[in-house]
Amino acid sequence: MSDIASKPRQEAEIALEYELDAAPEKVWRAIAVAAFRERWLPEADLAEPEPIASVPGVEVRYRMREEDAPFPESTVTFRIEPAPHGGTLFRIIHRIEGDARRNGANDNLRPMGLAA
Amino acid sequence: MESDIFRALADPTRRTVFEKLAVRGMNASDLRRGMTISQPAMSQHLAVLRSAGLVRERRDGRFVNYEVDPEGLARIGQWLARYRAYWPRRIDDLKALLKDMDQ
Repeated sequence: MSDIASKPRQEAEIALEYELDAAPEKVWRAIAVAAFRERWLPEADLAEPEPIASVPGVEVRYRMREEDAPFPESTVTFRIEPAPHGGTLFRIIHRIEGDARRNGANDNLRPMGLAA
Repeated sequence: MESDIFRALADPTRRTVFEKLAVRGMNASDLRRGMTISQPAMSQHLAVLRSAGLVRERRDGRFVNYEVDPEGLARIGQWLARYRAYWPRRIDDLKALLKDMDQ
């Protein structure tokens, strides 16, 4: 097993890619079946235990809990595809969503579009 | 109004504006130099960057200067640092689980 790449694509996004020895069907169960998911990605780290989107066998998306973080919410997408020799290419795309100011500067009500 | 860092920086013009401001703070007229963009359009882009917490304004006499908001940048850096450490640990657990699971 080797980690193929680990680089941010955008300032507010983390994109990681791993190669796993297990077959895609097995990895799918590990990321989409709650009882399995709980053993590596605990519910305490999620905003809600159920996926917010899913394409069976291909990708599943969860909302992450961000209450003590500077951003109101983030979503993580796990994407799988078959790798050569029976393994699985596993991608994590984690990005910030929503209004970054909400938890930050307390200036939500600042009027927009002041004269430049 | 929806405002988020990701969307704010998804626009190429706003990325250019943000990159200019990352070099030094300047007013809207200076920002427009070398760009084919109207003043209202520039104001709009600056408003989006400000509402995403990436840029702040500072009044300097009769000019309004814009500069990168260090707080906004720090928030991004904090978030990235946290999850760059988090995911490799989760992957270790995932690999352990896959070894335990039946085929």
